[in-house]
Amino acid sequence: MIYKSILFVLMTLVIIAGFSLPIVPSPSVWYEIPNIPGLEEKAKIIFFHVPTAWLSVVAFLMAMIYGIKYLRKQNMDDDAKSNAALQLGMIFTILATVTGSIWAKFTWGAFWHWDPRETSIFILLLIYGSLFALRSAIENEDKRAKLSAVYSIIAFLTVPFFIFIMPRIMSGLHPGSANDDNLGPVVDFKMNGTMQIVFYTSLIAFTMFYYWMWKIGYKSIIIKDRLHKKII
Amino acid sequence: MENLFGFLENNSIYIVLFIVLTIWAGIFTYMNSLDKRLKEIEIELKGDNK
Repeated sequence: MIYKSILFVLMTLVIIAGFSLPIVPSPSVWYEIPNIPGLEEKAKIIFFHVPTAWLSVVAFLMAMIYGIKYLRKQNMDDDAKSNAALQLGMIFTILATVTGSIWAKFTWGAFWHWDPRETSIFILLLIYGSLFALRSAIENEDKRAKLSAVYSIIAFLTVPFFIFIMPRIMSGLHPGSANDDNLGPVVDFKMNGTMQIVFYTSLIAFTMFYYWMWKIGYKSIIIKDRLHKKII
Repeated sequence: MENLFGFLENNSIYIVLFIVLTIWAGIFTYMNSLDKRLKEIEIELKGDNK
C-alpha cells in the first residue's frame, strides 16, 4: 500500500510540475525552467515522452532476463513474466512513437520524417512485433516459451544499438543527433536543477507504474494458464 | 469561486491539468481495484489446490 501511495503522489507531482512550471529565458526563481533552443514550450514533453522510451528499454531488458531464467529452469512462470514484460515493452514503444510523432508535427512540420531516431524505433517495433506473431503461431507451450526466450535474448541485443547508438552517431532532427548543436537537453544536461528533479522523479514514477502493471500482467497470465490446465 | 473560474478562463492550461489529474486518478483507482481482484482470485486458487 505504501508503494502505491508513493507512486500516486510522485506521478501527481510530475503531472502538476510538468504542466504548470513556467519556461523563461533565464530562470531566477526555483520553480522556473530554462528555455531550451529548438524545444521552447514543447520541452515539457521530456517529462512524459522520455520515460515511455526508457520503459520500453526496461521492459525488453526484463523480457530478456526472464527469457534467460526460463531457459535455465524451464519454469513457465518465468515465461509468463517475460511475456508480460514484452507486452508492456510493446505498449511503451508505441506510446513513445506516437507522442514523439505528435511533437515532431509541431517542431519539424510533419508527423514522420524517417529521422534516424524514428527509423530505429520503427525497426524495434517490427522486431518485437514479429515476436508476438511467433508466439501466437506456436501451440505447444514449451516450444513457444523456448523460442520466445531465445528470440527475446537475440532481439534485446539490438536494443542498445537502436536506442542509444544509432540515433547519436547519425545526423538527424531529433535532439541528441550527431549534428545537434545543443546536443539535446537530456544528453548534455542543459536542464536546470528544477527540471532535472521533475525529470528524474518522472522516470522513477513511470518505472514504479510499469512495475505495478507488469506484476498485474504476469499474475493474470499465470492464473489464466492454471485455470486452463484445471479445465483440461 | 468566480475568481477561480475567471483565473481558469485566462489560464486554460490549468483546465487541461485538472483533466489529466482526473484521468490519472481514474486509471490509478482502476488499477488498484484490478490488483485487489487478482489477489482475491490467487487466494481462491490456492484454497482450491489444498
